[in-house]
Amino acid sequence: MPIYNPKFMPKLIIDDITVEVPEGTTVLEAAQSVDIPIPHFCWHPALGKAGACRVCAVKMLDGPVRGIQMSCMLPAQDGMVVSTTDPEAMAMRKGVIEWLMINHPHDCPVCDEGGECQLQDFTIAGGHGIRRYDGKKRTHTNQYLGEFIAHEMNRCIQCYRCVRFYQGYAGGTDFGVMGRASMVYFGRQQEGPLDSPFSGNLVDICPTGVFTDKTARFRARYWDYDLAASVCPHCSLGCNITPAARYRELLKVIARRNDAVNGWFICDRGRFANAAVNAPERPRQALVDGKPVTVNEALDVLVLRVGEFLELHGPASLAIVGSPRMSLEGNIMAARLCKLLDAGALSYVGDAVQAERTMGAVSLLASGNAASLADVRQADLIVVAGCDLLEEAPMMALAARQAHRNGARVFVVGDECALDGARQELYESQAVTSLSDIPLTEAKRPVVICGTHPKRPDTAPLMAPLFGKKGLQTPVKFAFILDGPNAFGCALLGREHDAVPLSQAFAGGAIKGLISFEADLPAELTAGITVLAATDWQPTGLMQRAEVVLPCTAWVEQDGTFINNEGRAQRFKQVMRPGLPIKGLDPAGHPPRIHRNDAPGGDVAPSDRVIAMLIQRITGDTPVDGPLSGRWEGLRSLDADGEGKRLTDAA
Amino acid sequence: MIPESLRQELQRRVAGAVTPREAAVDVMKELQRHYGWLSDEAAEEAAGLLGLSPLQVEELATFYEMIYRRPVGRNVIHACDSISCWAMGGETLLRHLEQQLGIEAGGTTRDGAFTLLPCPCLGNCGNGPTIMIGDRLFGPVSPEQAGILIHELQRHGAD
Repeated sequence: MPIYNPKFMPKLIIDDITVEVPEGTTVLEAAQSVDIPIPHFCWHPALGKAGACRVCAVKMLDGPVRGIQMSCMLPAQDGMVVSTTDPEAMAMRKGVIEWLMINHPHDCPVCDEGGECQLQDFTIAGGHGIRRYDGKKRTHTNQYLGEFIAHEMNRCIQCYRCVRFYQGYAGGTDFGVMGRASMVYFGRQQEGPLDSPFSGNLVDICPTGVFTDKTARFRARYWDYDLAASVCPHCSLGCNITPAARYRELLKVIARRNDAVNGWFICDRGRFANAAVNAPERPRQALVDGKPVTVNEALDVLVLRVGEFLELHGPASLAIVGSPRMSLEGNIMAARLCKLLDAGALSYVGDAVQAERTMGAVSLLASGNAASLADVRQADLIVVAGCDLLEEAPMMALAARQAHRNGARVFVVGDECALDGARQELYESQAVTSLSDIPLTEAKRPVVICGTHPKRPDTAPLMAPLFGKKGLQTPVKFAFILDGPNAFGCALLGREHDAVPLSQAFAGGAIKGLISFEADLPAELTAGITVLAATDWQPTGLMQRAEVVLPCTAWVEQDGTFINNEGRAQRFKQVMRPGLPIKGLDPAGHPPRIHRNDAPGGDVAPSDRVIAMLIQRITGDTPVDGPLSGRWEGLRSLDADGEGKRLTDAA
Repeated sequence: MIPESLRQELQRRVAGAVTPREAAVDVMKELQRHYGWLSDEAAEEAAGLLGLSPLQVEELATFYEMIYRRPVGRNVIHACDSISCWAMGGETLLRHLEQQLGIEAGGTTRDGAFTLLPCPCLGNCGNGPTIMIGDRLFGPVSPEQAGILIHELQRHGAD
């Protein structure tokens, strides 16, 4: 990436609007900055330019360059006068679109991309409405690329985005571009599933329907989707996503841009591992001792049983269990419930080592030293210790690759190098045994990435000397890989409310019963403990054992907040209404013949609401404060479309 | 499998290149010389030698028109069909070659002596129409001259 003088701002005129942009900005980006759209296929903000499609033509009326130019290839310069509406430029763009469409099939009505297709949009916008070409079209044989991505090469317009992403950005080696001239083919050498754990992004970046999401094939059109800004729950990084749902079924997940976090992309786990939301075995019915009841009845029974339990064993024998995969709101309410019942233990994590390491990581992240994924992408020196990035936080590995591509050196510390599976494929790294082997003093933007998994060696003693280390050009920034989308939030709450890891709470033998909320606990940990109630949207072992089962909504069915691994609070919005997906219902029962306000299986609430209802029943009918009150008040106004709010910076 | 001597020679060339990828064309051409064409096995060998994935070798192999990913005859005739040669009668020349060899462009004669491949630009635009037989470039070539060239090769057998 060339380094430009940040102080020099070329000033140019685009369509009579004066634009001032940092040096190095292309004319296309300069136009976008004042909301002048210029069609483009090969140019992509994260992949840069290729000059392959020729559709971003503009006319330079005056200045250092004259005539028709490709706006994605041309850096903005002082004194340029640009017209995007000049007849010559418009004729050029129209012509380019016409010849891009020569081989493109007229299959929009049966193409999954229809309605969310850049080629469709620009063809219409460019004014190419009638096809003059009546010759034969070039055709290709498609490949089987695995269970997630459908391949339709005839639609290709040779923008090279897919291969630039797959090999360049994501380091894959099994997909590429073959042939030449009119026989350019984007695919694998032989049919087979794509190897890259980021392959799903081909679906997002292909400007037309060559790569479509097979899991959502032929299910709905763009304008029929329920869409909302959301956050991925699969690891602690909090990548931004836009889930698309219809008829109470989560159809697919699309990456959502957040320059501070995931940039433009997400990993395949975040995109394709969401079948649990629609799963038939998902708990949707409140149960008491295995018998179906309404949520209200279940709550009434639970209040009675908790009362009996407390009377019999005393409050010290009860544990309230939250979870790093539950929203911040739910976890706040769990703490409140614990306080109200004066329960013996509040717990967010099962494993004591995990809890200790997470707590340690969170307390180390102070103002300014937490590395966001953007910081990792821009780092010039990266240290990885005690984690397998591709396994625990794939997008962190992809971020490290971007730094590596820009010249950053990557070091893997300790003898656990074998754990860092990413290094082989995504970046070259150097194994070192101690921190003293790393030239930290040479780095301008050093970032250290540490794991916290209990099975891995502890990195804290290794890293401790780095905090506040003297003699560096810039203080080191840290990224910790935690064990859930809200692990950071749970650590903050745990510190505030003296939560203990569940294994530690059980150690004394005083705990006899628990109420769990979206908790994943190993069966052996809770053996012999009464599960008074469990709330979850996944069929966990606790849900099967619980006396009172209270189903709750999945994250796509509610508003909420996750705090990611760097302490960034991010709001996610409700995408779809909860309830059994219409697909899979007995056709005889749909549409329902009886009037009801909620969908079948839709009598569920978010965990924080479930806890609020429980608290309301226990305290009498006084209304319960919303979870985001008191010290969390500041998160109420969090904008789901923004970059989130870093709590580590607030201090 | 390739002979050990060839393997060592290719390893030496790869090691001598600035990046392994730079040696790719060289390696593919040598393997092609050994196998007669760049067979699937040869592509795998090339990938191993270059430290690239088979796909990445395939990308390069299918880009260069003188790397053959299908079996070819003992003599490969490239006939330029790009614009300069086309303007100078390249189309007529190609038809003539087809007729004389009794094959369509892209095909190989039954005796395995000739493969005829149209290709865009042999870099001899000033002397169109151009053909290339093996490593030898000819141009401008009239249909009659092409006929004589082929006749000669047919008489003398391969190379």
